[in-house]
Amino acid sequence: MTSSNYLILSAIIFSIGFLGIFINRKNIISILMSIELMLLATNINFVGFSNTLDDLFGQIFALFILVVAAAEAAIGLAILTIFFKKSGSISIDTINKLKG
Amino acid sequence: MTSTLFYIFSTITILSSFFVVFSSNPVHSVLFLIFSFFNVAIIFLLSDAEFLAMTLVIVYVGAVAVLFLFVVMMLNINEVLVKEGFLKYFPLGLLLISVFLTELIVVFKDLEFFNSNNTGISISNLLNQGHENTKSLGLFLYTDFFIIFQISGYLLLVAMIGAIVLAHDNKLSLKSQNILKQKQVKKDELIKLK
Repeated sequence: MTSSNYLILSAIIFSIGFLGIFINRKNIISILMSIELMLLATNINFVGFSNTLDDLFGQIFALFILVVAAAEAAIGLAILTIFFKKSGSISIDTINKLKG
Repeated sequence: MTSTLFYIFSTITILSSFFVVFSSNPVHSVLFLIFSFFNVAIIFLLSDAEFLAMTLVIVYVGAVAVLFLFVVMMLNINEVLVKEGFLKYFPLGLLLISVFLTELIVVFKDLEFFNSNNTGISISNLLNQGHENTKSLGLFLYTDFFIIFQISGYLLLVAMIGAIVLAHDNKLSLKSQNILKQKQVKKDELIKLK
C-alpha cells in the first residue's frame, strides 16, 4: 500500500464523520459517534504514515489520540446524561438550556 | 495479497461508517461503529501496528462503544424525532462534503512521499535488533516520550473525575447530616422519650 491509499481512506472516513455532524440535528449521541469516526480517520493517517515512512513516532502519537478520544467520549456522555435528565431531550435545538 | 486485503477491509469500513451516520436507530449506529472499529483494527494489523490494533479493539470496543451503548439504552430516544430535519440539512451538507472530499482526493491521488533521510525512529532498524512492535513502542514510550505519557495519564484522571462529578447526583444518593439545621432545632421540636 502507498501512502495515498491510507490518505484517501482516512479522507473518506473523515468526510463521513463530518457529514454525520451536519445531518444529525436531533441526536447528540450521533454527533459524538461522528467525532469518534473523525478521530479514527486521523489514527488511520498516523498509522499509515508510520508504515510507509518506516517511523515509529506515528504509532506513538496515535496512542495519545486514543487517550484523548476515550476521555472525550466519557466527558461527552456524562454531560449528555445530565442534560437529558434536566431537559428530557437530546436535541441540538434545546442545548442552549445547558447554560441554566 | 496485503493490498487486496487492505482494499476489502477499507471498503467494509467505509460502508459501515455510512451506516453509523445514516441509520435511524441509535443502537444500530453503535453496533456499526463497533464493526468499523474492528475493520480498522484489521487494517492496522496489515500495516504492522499490532499493539495499536489490539489497543483499538480493547479501548474502543471494550470501553467507548459499550459506554455509548449503555447511554443509548438508558436514554430511550424517540426514533421518529431523530430523523426530523434530515432533509433540511442533507443537501447543504452533501454539497460541502463532496467539495471537501473531491479536493482531498485530487490532492492525495498521486501523492508520493519518499523517504530520503529518515531522522525518526526506524521500525526496520528496531526489527533487525530483535525488538518487535510492542517492545519497541515501550522502549520509546517510557523513555523519550515519558512526559507526554504522564500528561496523558493525568488527562485520563481529570476526565474520570470530571465524569464522576458531572454524573453524580448529590440529592439522590447522600443522606448526610446537616449541621446547621441540627444546631437550629428548637426545644419543643425535639423528640423525647417518656
